[in-house]
Amino acid sequence: MKEPISVNLGEVVVSSDPADVLVAYGLGSCLGITMVDRQRHICGLLHAVLPHRLNGADPYCAKYVDSGIEGLLNAMLKAGADRRNLIVRMAGGANMLTAAGLSQTFDVGTRNIESALETLQRLNLPLHAQETGGHSGRTVRVYVASGRVTVRVVGGVEKDL
Amino acid sequence: MSSAVEFDERLIETLRSLTTIGIHNAVRGFSGLLGHKLEFGEPNVKLVPLTEIPMIVGGPENEAVGIYLRAEGDFHAQIMMILPLEKAFQLVDLLMEQPEGSTTFLGSLERSALGEVGNMTGTFFMNAVANALGREIRPTPPAVMVDMVGAILDIIVATTGGVSDHVLLIQTCFKDGSRSVLTDFWVIPDAQSLQALQQAEKRE
Repeated sequence: MKEPISVNLGEVVVSSDPADVLVAYGLGSCLGITMVDRQRHICGLLHAVLPHRLNGADPYCAKYVDSGIEGLLNAMLKAGADRRNLIVRMAGGANMLTAAGLSQTFDVGTRNIESALETLQRLNLPLHAQETGGHSGRTVRVYVASGRVTVRVVGGVEKDL
Repeated sequence: MSSAVEFDERLIETLRSLTTIGIHNAVRGFSGLLGHKLEFGEPNVKLVPLTEIPMIVGGPENEAVGIYLRAEGDFHAQIMMILPLEKAFQLVDLLMEQPEGSTTFLGSLERSALGEVGNMTGTFFMNAVANALGREIRPTPPAVMVDMVGAILDIIVATTGGVSDHVLLIQTCFKDGSRSVLTDFWVIPDAQSLQALQQAEKRE
């Protein structure tokens, strides 16, 4: 069996190889956003870190949620996906710091979720499912063969998203 | 938003020596608390690209313990101590003077012991830096979390990602007789504090 393809911080991976499994490991405040075109068997996964693209960054820069979603969409279309078929899901955006006095300061997770929802709305892409927020890390997997997307938390089992 | 800071050799050297003093100070303080001498290995200080961090701590999906605090006052920085779960158990055993292998679960007592490690280490570390710089630095209370390495490190990545592509890693080893526990400290000074440090260097 092929090794899963690790989608690291600030990366987008799109695949149409049925043997591929795309994985974003240990998402905390980061967001994993997946796009699946079941009809054409094309899947993509984005691992975005921060909510908004900074001035000067690439318009498809995958480090940021807003430009990363545009980058993922662009890569999906380039690979031959049909926009009308796209099923979008997202997971992550947790607030990892729960100690008093610290949690409010960097709630990047919540801001990432907000940025994703705004961007998807602007691009007119409906969100099919999400498992976001909370205080736990998550691992997201995309099985290209079936288009299945799963989420796992630490000590837990893989569940369909 | 602060502008990016160039990590030149000189700045790394300054941070390395500050860190070494800080860790020395922390271990001394710790030994005082425990009532017997705790030693530590020579710290290894290096600059690490943000994207490589999860690999260093054994892979992003591995379960780990993160102890996080921030420095406030005249110098702003974040300190994250991160230990694979097994190492955290060992450290609790070492601190609570139990035979190795006694701790198999992190309850509130164990978490509080680990928080105290972060608190002590962070405080002594900051005192050393404060003395060296002649600035006032205060630590925040520590936050202890148990989760996937990647998720814990997102705290660092998210707060530095827009500013710097590299962070400073300090690896050191707590030793008590023949027992030792390797720990990783991530020290993330914010860009403005780094710039102040650089300017202080230039004036010297």
